[in-house]
Amino acid sequence: MSKPQSPILSAQDLTVYYPLRSKGFLRAVDGISLNLYPGEVLGLVGESGCGKSSLGRALMRLHEPTSGTLSVLGTDFLSLKGSKLREFRRNIQMVFQDPYASLNPRMTVSDALSEPLRAHFRLTNQEITKKVAKTLEQVGLTEQARYKYPHEFSGGQRQRIAIARALVLDPKVLIADEPVSSLDVSVQAQVLNLLKEIQKNTGLSMLFISHNLSVVKYISDRIAVMYLGKIVETANRDELFEKPQHPYTQALISAVPIPDPKLERERKRIMLTGELPSAESPPKGCAFHTRCPWVVPRCLEERPKLKEDSSGKRAVACFEVGKRP
Amino acid sequence: MNPLLSIQDYKAHFYTRRGIVKAVNGITYDVHPGQTLAIVGESGSGKSVSQLSYLGLLPSPPLKITGGQVLFEGNDLLKMGEDQLRKIRGDKISMIFQEPMTSLNPYLKIGSQMIEPLVIHRKKSKKEAWKLATQALERVGLSRPDQAMESYPHEFSGGMRQRVMIAMALTTEPKLLIADEPTTALDVTVQAQILELLKSIQKENEMAMILITHDLGVVAGAADEVVVMYAGRVFETGSVDDIFYRSQHPYTRALLRSTPRLDQLEKELPVIPGSPPDLIAVTEGCPFYDRCSYQKEICKAEFPRESSSGANHKRFCHVEKIS
Repeated sequence: MSKPQSPILSAQDLTVYYPLRSKGFLRAVDGISLNLYPGEVLGLVGESGCGKSSLGRALMRLHEPTSGTLSVLGTDFLSLKGSKLREFRRNIQMVFQDPYASLNPRMTVSDALSEPLRAHFRLTNQEITKKVAKTLEQVGLTEQARYKYPHEFSGGQRQRIAIARALVLDPKVLIADEPVSSLDVSVQAQVLNLLKEIQKNTGLSMLFISHNLSVVKYISDRIAVMYLGKIVETANRDELFEKPQHPYTQALISAVPIPDPKLERERKRIMLTGELPSAESPPKGCAFHTRCPWVVPRCLEERPKLKEDSSGKRAVACFEVGKRP
Repeated sequence: MNPLLSIQDYKAHFYTRRGIVKAVNGITYDVHPGQTLAIVGESGSGKSVSQLSYLGLLPSPPLKITGGQVLFEGNDLLKMGEDQLRKIRGDKISMIFQEPMTSLNPYLKIGSQMIEPLVIHRKKSKKEAWKLATQALERVGLSRPDQAMESYPHEFSGGMRQRVMIAMALTTEPKLLIADEPTTALDVTVQAQILELLKSIQKENEMAMILITHDLGVVAGAADEVVVMYAGRVFETGSVDDIFYRSQHPYTRALLRSTPRLDQLEKELPVIPGSPPDLIAVTEGCPFYDRCSYQKEICKAEFPRESSSGANHKRFCHVEKIS
């Protein structure tokens, strides 16, 4: 991958705060800077409640970020309003976890796919029909699918429809939030391969959000690891798995069960003690210090910044990196 | 060694307005003392119904047990009345479920829920039960068990609640623990802790465990024996190594191959075409027939008989040898 390209999507110091009834804020996304480069799949991985979905929604402006900047295709996305915003949105589309909830049950597949086309382009009915047919083919659905309603499809096929709906506008950026998590295990691979193939054929950039590290590894070129509203490490896929540097990344990788009994019997796990702290009252200093095996006094006071190493290819937010074996 | 639990040709169907849902369609296997048997399958494969139904935990109707035997310590649970079953449930057979929040009563303190099995099944005094329950909480790793007894479920995180559930299930020192997706709602770092805990407790008590899960990684790490289920049928049973290294069933093989692994770099995942069948529409044939790359004419008409691929390794497939 050629690196020095300018990013297609770039977030700087992005925050998403939700006001709490008590008082104060839940800092779901707490100052995140993130670049998505043209043609890459960036995996965003983290445990439930770490803010990965909030970040995905903020990048789409489905939820307005509280502060920070966000540039998409060189445009200041956060400053767009009204018709300009609506028009711009076709560049960035999203696929959600639950295809049962994200499709309108009263719209046929054809209606669901035509709607965005009508909203964004002046096309004749014939042109729309053609584009819908082409997109359905792209996601592996037959021509007969167009007159059916979502309930007539299985979960995997529904997710194909949701993907088709996102693709019909030829977006430059696709944000996929846990797109295979609600699917049966035997169907997951179909949808993963489809996303991979589409990405390769269209060259779009994808942010793939998931809690499942094995799935993220399969599909991503580069991976960002999130913990309690912050990114703790980013690296190219192979480097992240070969040499994870942040203690949280290390623990996460070591905790994922591998479907291989002999390997599981021999594996040594890094057991984290304690539980994920609540995002409503995150620990002071480094958010991971309550569970960290490396913790030093400095971690309790000061929050480590995400620092790039000399290669410029990976970044870690930890004071102790490089000091440990 | 006599099996602790022996399930034989067991059938449980739901009679619905749409038709008969053959959720459990003739399954057979044994569970031995001190062993972990994992039931692995996708949603709708019948893995949960196959356990909850014989314990009388599903509403009937629509559920109807239509055949077979479920022998626990030699006695057929299916022939027992509700009174007898109630004496076994929560005593010799305990359960934990996926979502601990829905299994705990939000209005009651942990303590008053914890002592219930001891007071009811073991006829302990409340005071004594309270003491035993506090010890149980300590054993599952709660740092301040006295304080925990006085707390309400919402005051705990998901992992802590699951620890409470485990402690509660174990107060009566059951012979069999049925764990239905016990770590699915938890984060992986917490999942590892809970699985480790279950393992160590099991070693101490010689307890048998039925672990219901869809996660092949969890199976590989936790199981001694494995039952692979699909659309209400058992496809293959054997030791964990039989299933992962010597599987002789096309579905098991395909499932293992199509699951991305953290220790491998897959260029492209082999896929299983199609999706699991509608259980109302299942026929007498093999329910995997139309997705199977080995399909033969006979598979459509007839579900295969059990054949043996090794000492304890059994499979249900018409295909002689799969490569």
